[in-house]
Amino acid sequence: MTSESDDHSISSESLIDVNLLKEIAKKALVDALNSVNGAKTLVLDPSLAGPLGLVTEVSVLKHHGVDKMFWLEPGALSSTTSNIVYLCRPLITYVKIIADHIKRHAKESRKHTYTLLLVPRVSTLVSQILEEEGVLGDVTISAYNLQFIPLAEDVISLEYDNAFKDLWVDGDETVIYDSAQALTTFQKLYGLFPRIVGKGDYAARLTTLLIRETPKSSNSSSPETLLTPSERIDSLIVLDRRVDMITPLLTQLTYEGLIDELIGIKNSSVELPASLLSPPAPIPAGPSTSSSTSNAPLTSLKKESKKKHHLTTATDPLFAELRDLNFSSVGRKLNRVARGLDENYKTNLQSKTVAQLRDFVGKLGGLQTEHQALRLHTGLSELLVPLTRTEHFNKSLEIQQNLLASYEVSAQVTAIEDMIAQGADMQTVLRLLCLASITAGGIKAKVLENIKREVLQAYGYNFLPLLLSLASPPLGILLPNPLPSSAPASLAPLKYPFTTLRKSLRLLIDDTPEALDEVENDISFVYSGYAPISVRLVQCVAQKGGVISNPAEKAVAEAAGRNRPTSQGKVQAHPIVGWRGFEDVVATIPGETIDIVQRGSGSKVPPIASLLQPGEKLTTTVVFFLGGCTYTEIAALRWVGRQNKGRKFLVVTTGIINGASIIDSIAGLGKSAGASKAAGI
Amino acid sequence: MVTHPETMAEHPTASWEAMPDGNVFYRRQQLYSVTGKLPNLGDYIVAGCRHGGPLALMRDNTKLVALGPATPSTAKAQIQVFSPAGEGLLVLSWDQAKIVRFGWTLDERLVILNEEGVYRLYDLQGEYIQHSLGSEAAEMGIVDARIQDNGLVALTGSLTLLEIKGWEGGRPLTLANPGLSEPPHVWGVIPPDVNISRHVEVLLSVDSTILSVDNLETVDQRISRGPFTHISPSPNGKSLALLTFSGTLWVVSTDFQRSMAEFETTTVAGAEGPIRQVEWCGNDAILVTWDSLVLLVGPFGDTLRFFHSGPTFAVTELDGIRIIGPDVCDMVQKVPSSSLSIFRPGSTSPSAILYDAWESFTQRLPKADESIRSIRPELAAAVDECIDAAGQEWEPYWQRRLLNAAKFGRGFLDLHNPTDFINMGQTLKVLNAVRYYEIGIPLTYSQYIYAGPTQLVKRLTSRNMHLLALRISSFLSLKPDAVLKHWASAKIARSKPTTTGSGKDAELSGDDEVCKLIVQKFEQMGGADVSYADIAKRAWEVGRSGLATKLLDHESRASDQVPLLLTMKEDRLALEKAVDSGDTDLVYHVLLHLHKRLTLGDFFRLIESGGAKLAAASRLLEVYAREQNREMLRDFYYSDDRRVESAVLSLEEAARISDPNSKITAVKAAHKFFSDDKDRAFEAKMMDEYSRLLTVQQQLEKESDGKVEFFGASVNETMRRCILNGMSKRADKIKADFKVPEKRFWHMKLHALTTLGDFEALDAFSKSKRSPIGYEAFVRHLVETGHTREAVLYVAKCDGHRRAEMYVLCGEWRMAGAVCKERGDKKVLEDIRRRCPNSMIARELDQIAAGMK
Repeated sequence: MTSESDDHSISSESLIDVNLLKEIAKKALVDALNSVNGAKTLVLDPSLAGPLGLVTEVSVLKHHGVDKMFWLEPGALSSTTSNIVYLCRPLITYVKIIADHIKRHAKESRKHTYTLLLVPRVSTLVSQILEEEGVLGDVTISAYNLQFIPLAEDVISLEYDNAFKDLWVDGDETVIYDSAQALTTFQKLYGLFPRIVGKGDYAARLTTLLIRETPKSSNSSSPETLLTPSERIDSLIVLDRRVDMITPLLTQLTYEGLIDELIGIKNSSVELPASLLSPPAPIPAGPSTSSSTSNAPLTSLKKESKKKHHLTTATDPLFAELRDLNFSSVGRKLNRVARGLDENYKTNLQSKTVAQLRDFVGKLGGLQTEHQALRLHTGLSELLVPLTRTEHFNKSLEIQQNLLASYEVSAQVTAIEDMIAQGADMQTVLRLLCLASITAGGIKAKVLENIKREVLQAYGYNFLPLLLSLASPPLGILLPNPLPSSAPASLAPLKYPFTTLRKSLRLLIDDTPEALDEVENDISFVYSGYAPISVRLVQCVAQKGGVISNPAEKAVAEAAGRNRPTSQGKVQAHPIVGWRGFEDVVATIPGETIDIVQRGSGSKVPPIASLLQPGEKLTTTVVFFLGGCTYTEIAALRWVGRQNKGRKFLVVTTGIINGASIIDSIAGLGKSAGASKAAGI
Repeated sequence: MVTHPETMAEHPTASWEAMPDGNVFYRRQQLYSVTGKLPNLGDYIVAGCRHGGPLALMRDNTKLVALGPATPSTAKAQIQVFSPAGEGLLVLSWDQAKIVRFGWTLDERLVILNEEGVYRLYDLQGEYIQHSLGSEAAEMGIVDARIQDNGLVALTGSLTLLEIKGWEGGRPLTLANPGLSEPPHVWGVIPPDVNISRHVEVLLSVDSTILSVDNLETVDQRISRGPFTHISPSPNGKSLALLTFSGTLWVVSTDFQRSMAEFETTTVAGAEGPIRQVEWCGNDAILVTWDSLVLLVGPFGDTLRFFHSGPTFAVTELDGIRIIGPDVCDMVQKVPSSSLSIFRPGSTSPSAILYDAWESFTQRLPKADESIRSIRPELAAAVDECIDAAGQEWEPYWQRRLLNAAKFGRGFLDLHNPTDFINMGQTLKVLNAVRYYEIGIPLTYSQYIYAGPTQLVKRLTSRNMHLLALRISSFLSLKPDAVLKHWASAKIARSKPTTTGSGKDAELSGDDEVCKLIVQKFEQMGGADVSYADIAKRAWEVGRSGLATKLLDHESRASDQVPLLLTMKEDRLALEKAVDSGDTDLVYHVLLHLHKRLTLGDFFRLIESGGAKLAAASRLLEVYAREQNREMLRDFYYSDDRRVESAVLSLEEAARISDPNSKITAVKAAHKFFSDDKDRAFEAKMMDEYSRLLTVQQQLEKESDGKVEFFGASVNETMRRCILNGMSKRADKIKADFKVPEKRFWHMKLHALTTLGDFEALDAFSKSKRSPIGYEAFVRHLVETGHTREAVLYVAKCDGHRRAEMYVLCGEWRMAGAVCKERGDKKVLEDIRRRCPNSMIARELDQIAAGMK
């Protein structure tokens, strides 16, 4: 963390400015709205409210003629304006609701003009259904091409909620196509990815589509950027989620990850008790340490009205320092910041001269913002602490650690069964079960059958389809061992070589927990001692040294020898040479392996930058998670980015996921976005 | 390509003629000699295409004509098309209703409109697209029309006006009704692009006045000089030339506010017969034609006369006027300023001096240097003027001389951007090529700049002059795609379906050959962006489906391939290509299309037999059908014996149904499907339990008089609700029936009784037998729910070594201390002492510790 400040200065010049994408998305929306003349009623797909909130504000919509907003949901719709604009993803359910609205209005002989803006593009399916419903003639259909949305300065996302389920349960590959389109737009802006490296069958599919989108000859009308390899980007690493199913099943232990696990982050927003967000009422006597928190905040949490809060580093610099910390060190960090803030106030109060006073007053605003941020995060941590002290939480962590170490697997399965008996969450139980199945190469058929029965009896027989989905290809993460002879042939190759990977990719770190708290010396800090495979794979491409041993560790050791840690000890990032050195390891993981060089067809001479010594080059490596990624993976990648000079990571994903959201989406337990009639973003 | 020997080229001024006042010069440039190539224009109705385009001729049936070998023997209407050089391009026979008007579009297509409101757009190969003005127009009939570059205005039989914008077959717009009782004497149209309002304006000569009509209103211009025989708007739309019955030519601004000139045509010597045409030459002179006299009327009533041996036809151009007579095709225009400045006798302009200097230089006269020095400050402008003048000359000889003069001048300049010079050289090369009489496009430099090189390439292509078009494309570094596409289409149309051999094989090899030829050509010419799908479509249209398929294989964009494959009924291929494209919407497009067209059985067979290749399509169909057409999905699973999927579908339905009996039926159906599959014994068993549970729940609801809701809850939840509602016995029964393990049952009952606050029952339960979950669970749960007092009671039942910890959990520090003492566990005691919350307890614990010694 010592080198935080100089990292920022580097990142500002080398990182790709993702805000451009936000501006594009915003402008496209405004254009789409302006294409409908006059005042209009906007009917919004609830699942789009979050993503839209990240690119625009309600005031912008109002400014462009949106009179009222409603959620797109079943039931009557009464509009005072003659224009009605629907904005939604092309889902059949939505289209049926729209058709119903139009038919109702016709029955009541109310005249409206209907415009349907589909995200991200128009669909034959939608027009077909509108035609079947007999209202196609009444609707003007066009598209609002919402693609990547910036979530942070180094994270952009399509914000698809169901990408994982669509791909690995339904086999609906729309998201791959949309991803390829979005990546093409990205390439149009920043140039071709000079090299595409990847792993996984769907990742391979995505790569094929992406390459097909780029023009073959320089003789075409496509922009120059699609013809020449980018100078700012050195590669695209595509990983599909099936390549590493273990990571999302584990409980995330970073600050942001834990907020997502325990409270839930949706489109970068979290619902918090209103009191935490409003400017301070008389401050309770100092943020006390955790000992005073018993059950009290839990019960009050339920009663208090909640408010949405956008977690962003733009207005909350403290969050930037906290989000990727292991939760165990968050308390200490907060303490330090609090003390620093206190000092600041004190020293300033002692200011004597007028000049000093003026300085103080000038700083006051900043101090107050910092103060407010500190209050928020202290309160938020206080909410989290009791939740991490519950028996289920700790038992679940214990089982995870044991399974990762392959320690007494059958005892762990029994422990999971006990958790069912104790009434643990269905999501927690299934995460553990799948983890057991993947790490141990399956669960004994008899035991598995018994535990499935327990699940069904405890949570309901209606979860049988969920269990079937988890067990069938292409997912196959809850399997009996050995596989029955009748199992489909496609299941056998899905078996995950966890134990060999654990060794070859150095997944478990045997350090003492104390040491882990002190130094983040490996990406495994995000799971308190376990390194996510996905990020290790990225390291195989972009920081090869980090896989085998730990450069940071060595640097620390050396620095300790010299008594002075220096940030100059950082090594220049090596150029991208694909999977070289790890071909064998990567080959053992199920799914296709990709390594393609894109030369482009432009006839341009190699840019000057490529002739420079690699030592002077700053590049960005784009990591695409097809099927979603977790906050811990983002945190780990940021850590990797800090280890070398000259390479930054840009995380691109179809959405942010965690184990619970995966299980929920497969079970069809979508969380409804809000029941109020008048919509807001 | 130059026809004339260069030395014979006359001096440019030889074609100049000064207006009588001596200051304004017009030039009459002979473009082509057409002697004997065209019929007598006096017997024909003629329409000329601007920008050096062709002429269309149709016999004027009102004129008598001697029958002879040259005249067509049938009465059928026929339209002949000639190039400006008099070469026959096309002959069209018209078999539709009577033609009321024909004319040209901007892109050189011939529009022919008949009295039924049907109009066709012919390209120069005779291929046409047909549109109509609508059924209403057909009923009223069309009596006349004015055809412009980008649309037409038609006068209907009921004397209303219809406008067509563009040539895409758009719906006709009705203009304001002028309220006429009889057809206008004459009428004209100001096209939208030169009108101030950007809408079309129609001028009708009615009685003595003129009505101007647009889409909103009719305005009477209140003029008393009419009626008129000719109305002709100037090319820039700002002025009108009107000819009265009495023969007065009147030029007036379009808004009729400013009278600009008047001229009596009756006084012109040598004029015989009626006036044929009143056309504009540029924007400031008017050309009036009689049978053998052409009179140019300048802005101040000055005139120039040009004689022809017979009737002529004049076409207004951007920068002049083209006159086709019996012997020659001429271009008449005001002499461009750059030419005037150089060649005007006695001119002392810098460019004239530069030209003169160059001539001296070529004759090795020392005067050259002196002249150049004299114009040093204006040399750059002089060079530019010479370049421009080169563009204005028709003869390559003079073009070259002027460019050489420019080059010579350039040599004396330190800095001069050569772009204009190079571009002019290139452009002239192209222009000279297309002006050659066999090509016959007498395009001037200004016209070329106006329309652009792509337009020119297009015009050549539409004349099937692919080679020249390609050469020009590559010379100007334009994309050859459009030319290649047209070439390929022409190639397909011309190649015979079968080659010399006979039978299927020959046809196949013929297709192969054509396909190979086309692909090779494309690759060779770098036409990577040419859409093979378009060409394949063309092949399909002319009945060459084999060739179409082969060409389609080369198409890289699936979205272009698929629709054609569907029309060709290549269903499987279409589906495969759609799947391969990764564009799920395209897959849906195909699926929905096939679902409509095929029988359900064929549809399913097609998808099922596709195997892995069509797996994605099958999954998408399932996604769609699950939402929109479950009946179909059930049939689909059934037809493929997919029992597990069928069962899951039944289960999903069960989840949506609220009616108890139908829900149970659906679950039973799922059970049935699972039991049909021998590998799904577990699932079948579970479904059996499910339906049993639902039945039990139905009963329970009845027993509780419907006060408690049981239906649809899980086994655990059902037992819990039983306990909460005092039906404990029933919970036991369910436990037995569903073989619920002891541990789970105990946890559940512990939680339920705690919720209920029935601690007596809890006590009894805890004593009913030895707890399978131990008693720590009791303590913990009670503490977690805030029942610390009750929790203490169970600590004694916990394992000895855990008791102290459990007491601490309950907040009973002293008791914890006591336990430690009892067990002699000093270590734990110390640990507790460290954690205790206040000094009082600490002191007590210290005492206990002291007592332990």
